Amino acid sequence: MANQTLAHSFRESPILRPSGLIVLAILTATVVILTATGSRITLSLLAQATIISIMALSVGFLARTADLISFGHAAPFGLGAYGTALVFQHGIPAEVGIWLVLVAVFALFFVIGLVVGKLNGIAFSMLTLALGQFFFVAVSKLRAITAGADGMTVSLPRSLFGLPSRTFQTPDGMFIIAAVILAALVILIYLFEASRTGRLAIGVRENEERVLFLGYRTKILKAAVFATSATIAGVSGVLFALYQGFVSPEIMHWSFSGNALIMAILGGSLAVWGPVAGALVFFFLREWLSDLTEHWLAVLGVILITVTVAWPGGMTGLAKAMRTRISGRERNGGGK
Amino acid sequence: MSFLFRCENIGKTYGGVVALKDVSLNLESGQVHGLIGPNGAGKSTFIDVVSGRTPGLGRVFFEDREITGISPSAMRRAGISRSFQRTSIFPALTVRDQIELANHGTGGGNTGELVEMLGLGAVLDTEAEEISYGQQRLVDLALALVGDPRVLLLDEPAAGLSVQESAVLSGHLEEIAERWNVAVLLVEHDMDVIFRVCKVLTVLASGRFLVQGTSADIRNNPVVIEAYFGSTA
Repeated sequence: MANQTLAHSFRESPILRPSGLIVLAILTATVVILTATGSRITLSLLAQATIISIMALSVGFLARTADLISFGHAAPFGLGAYGTALVFQHGIPAEVGIWLVLVAVFALFFVIGLVVGKLNGIAFSMLTLALGQFFFVAVSKLRAITAGADGMTVSLPRSLFGLPSRTFQTPDGMFIIAAVILAALVILIYLFEASRTGRLAIGVRENEERVLFLGYRTKILKAAVFATSATIAGVSGVLFALYQGFVSPEIMHWSFSGNALIMAILGGSLAVWGPVAGALVFFFLREWLSDLTEHWLAVLGVILITVTVAWPGGMTGLAKAMRTRISGRERNGGGK
Repeated sequence: MSFLFRCENIGKTYGGVVALKDVSLNLESGQVHGLIGPNGAGKSTFIDVVSGRTPGLGRVFFEDREITGISPSAMRRAGISRSFQRTSIFPALTVRDQIELANHGTGGGNTGELVEMLGLGAVLDTEAEEISYGQQRLVDLALALVGDPRVLLLDEPAAGLSVQESAVLSGHLEEIAERWNVAVLLVEHDMDVIFRVCKVLTVLASGRFLVQGTSADIRNNPVVIEAYFGSTA
């Protein structure tokens, strides 16, 4: 009886509220309109930005769920990309192969998570940086498998997951595929957060010691969150390989992890969608500035520092502040 | 006589500093046992060692079974619960979510009754960071009580509460011990709370056992007065 009183369900997830469903419908319409009207260059940028958004989502998921900042997520991204290239190269059935790559990424990072999960703060970040660089060097040196610095061509089969392979390598096709996968991942993360396991993960983030004294073991949960985050990065890597048709060690360099982290910070972690918004803004800002000046990196740096100082919670922090201000205004107006 | 919870020769050293040495005490069901002493006496260290929060010396028995060194989660699942000196809750979760979390972790039990007894019904759907400090302390207590623990180790539950809130807390502690037949160890600086709810008191000073007795005995014991004030005069 008491348990029934206290029970909660997925229905409480913001994504399943009417407002969440309306936002989803608007975003779906936006994707359809952009696909129908956008130029090839615009769609190509959108496809790339959406793939990178998934990468930022993975970093943001870890920051939001476990309060852990990873400097090494280029590693699972790269393993997803290289794994896809190797699957095609060795003639492994493509669909099975891609799933196996993602399962392998999860398993590998689960084991790594059991070790690095004991650390917090800067120690965790530094260890992930070292791990990321280990994988970068490994991919660069294992020429017999990865072709080293020369990179690998990704030779797609004729069809993949029931679609012609060309779909994955055209801007409009990949934009829609990446947008659908991104939306599915965002919805899954919202549902996860509304689940008991998700709330337990938030509990561990907030007060792990208390969770231990409530009778839980936290080690496996922390490793699973880390592995899930890495697998999301792996999905991004798979899409990258499919779209670009080429992979090289640069995609596993720490600077790529750093970019994903900047996107996540720019978007903020107060909402699941934060890193996605941050990635889109970062990506298009970078494109726009690089057209304007060759010193775009410096300008981008100044903009990012200004934004981060002005809104420490990133775009989600700004959205929350605006919402609070509007609701405060409504309350004051109602009181008159 | 067989006690529900026995702690034998509990000790703890930090480097070369002895924080606690050879302290033993036993808890009975339905009784609040107070553990008092001046600052630095080793009261919180005692709870930390016996609850497995920090490694130490000595042996711990629950229902005549030795449980020395078991993990905090195993201890909680066995029926031994604790609270912390500082409020230890989950600020971003609603009160309902965290009680439900505790309910699941401990194997379920008395949540509805607990919420009613502690008067948390009105704030169930409020995030813990939004409620008052007094209510946060009650949520902290609720987290320790979910799952019908047999032994409750409370580390200064009245810290930071007003006189009125402390009085309400005292009532809750009496009810918990007597009605739910829980063995409670209470570390507390608020002597009004201690003398109201504790039948037996153990006094520590400088990490050593000083004296044990009923509240009436301890209140006028010159050794205890000297330990607290440095003089019986």
